[in-house]
Amino acid sequence: MAATPFTAPPMDAKATELPKVDEVVDYNNLPCPLPYEEIHRESLMSLKPEVFEGMRFDFNKALGPKFFLSHSVTMGPTEVPSQSPEPIKIPTANYEFGANYIDPKLMLIGRVSHDGRLNARLKADLTDNLIVKGNASLTSEPHMSHAMGTFDYKGTDYRAQLQVGSGTLLGANYIQSVTPHISLGGEIFWAGQHRKSGVGYAARYSNDKTVATGQVASTGMVALSYVQKVSEKLSFATEFSYNHMSKDVTATVGYDAVLRQARVRGKIDSNGCVTGFLEERLNVGLTFILSAELDHKKKDYKFGFGFTAGE
Amino acid sequence: MASNSGAKRIGSSSDTSNGGGILGRVTSTVSESPIFQKGKDSADDAAFVTKKLLKSTGKAAWIVGTTFLVLALPLFIELERDGQLDALELQQASLLGTPKA
Repeated sequence: MAATPFTAPPMDAKATELPKVDEVVDYNNLPCPLPYEEIHRESLMSLKPEVFEGMRFDFNKALGPKFFLSHSVTMGPTEVPSQSPEPIKIPTANYEFGANYIDPKLMLIGRVSHDGRLNARLKADLTDNLIVKGNASLTSEPHMSHAMGTFDYKGTDYRAQLQVGSGTLLGANYIQSVTPHISLGGEIFWAGQHRKSGVGYAARYSNDKTVATGQVASTGMVALSYVQKVSEKLSFATEFSYNHMSKDVTATVGYDAVLRQARVRGKIDSNGCVTGFLEERLNVGLTFILSAELDHKKKDYKFGFGFTAGE
Repeated sequence: MASNSGAKRIGSSSDTSNGGGILGRVTSTVSESPIFQKGKDSADDAAFVTKKLLKSTGKAAWIVGTTFLVLALPLFIELERDGQLDALELQQASLLGTPKA
């Protein structure tokens, strides 16, 4: 009923800090929850760094207060799915040019890669509470392009979202805060191309120091995650995912250290996969990235390095 | 038995017939006794197990070592750099007398 904080006030609390009293929860004034797809946000940020193999170089050039261009060069082996258990890697090089316009009410991002793939994203605030998002990915290969549009409505303590996608993909989800720390949500989707439909539920508990989420879906997927902040700079995260259809179980434990000039993330998997990711700020506007992934089971090792220049 | 001992003792012509036979017979009785065989079998087993143990310890040490390199080493290095930055700021604050922000 009353939102008693988990931890008692520490013995060496500062003299000016009043002891916490039991607050009466005002159920009419609950905070707005995170959007449904961001319910796992903390664990995703800690446990899923963008590991890559090879070299990566990103350069952002600002042409105005809201508009900037981006150039991105990546070189390295990319995996090609093959029948044999050994992964086949083919060295590729890729250049991608992008133009971005970012405004509090309107965001437009477009990227074109040298092999003719176009990726566009749009986010517009139509009113204070209604947000329209769209993204499209076009390629020259037939039947590989797709687009998706989303309408979000943000209420006082709930959010509702409707998704429409190419290939007749329809989805709707709703999430509501039930106490200042807990929010519950549900979703329903229908994929026309594969004639599949599903229902899912999600719950999230968040505190100053911990975030625990759980999600189940009728596709047989169960995902639980827990993130604990042990200090200002270091937090630990763990995730457990289980797929009932394919009987696939994965548990992951990782850490995330946000220091002043660097950010180090590491994780270890139950599939014998160890990942490390380091981003270090060498100078104003110059960041150095190192990524390493060791798969002890498949004996597959991937290392990458890169730079990000500009803002 | 006697032929074996004869082949072994080509050089020493003094103890052929009977003398060479005695030593040969003693060694062959020892090497064919069941106790000796059992000891040899257990020594073989122990060598096999030790080899396997060494191999798996080696494998485990390799996995632990490389995992430590990837997971923990960057963290230690960055924490030390952060500590150096702190020490530098402390030194500068004490030198210049600026109030610590």
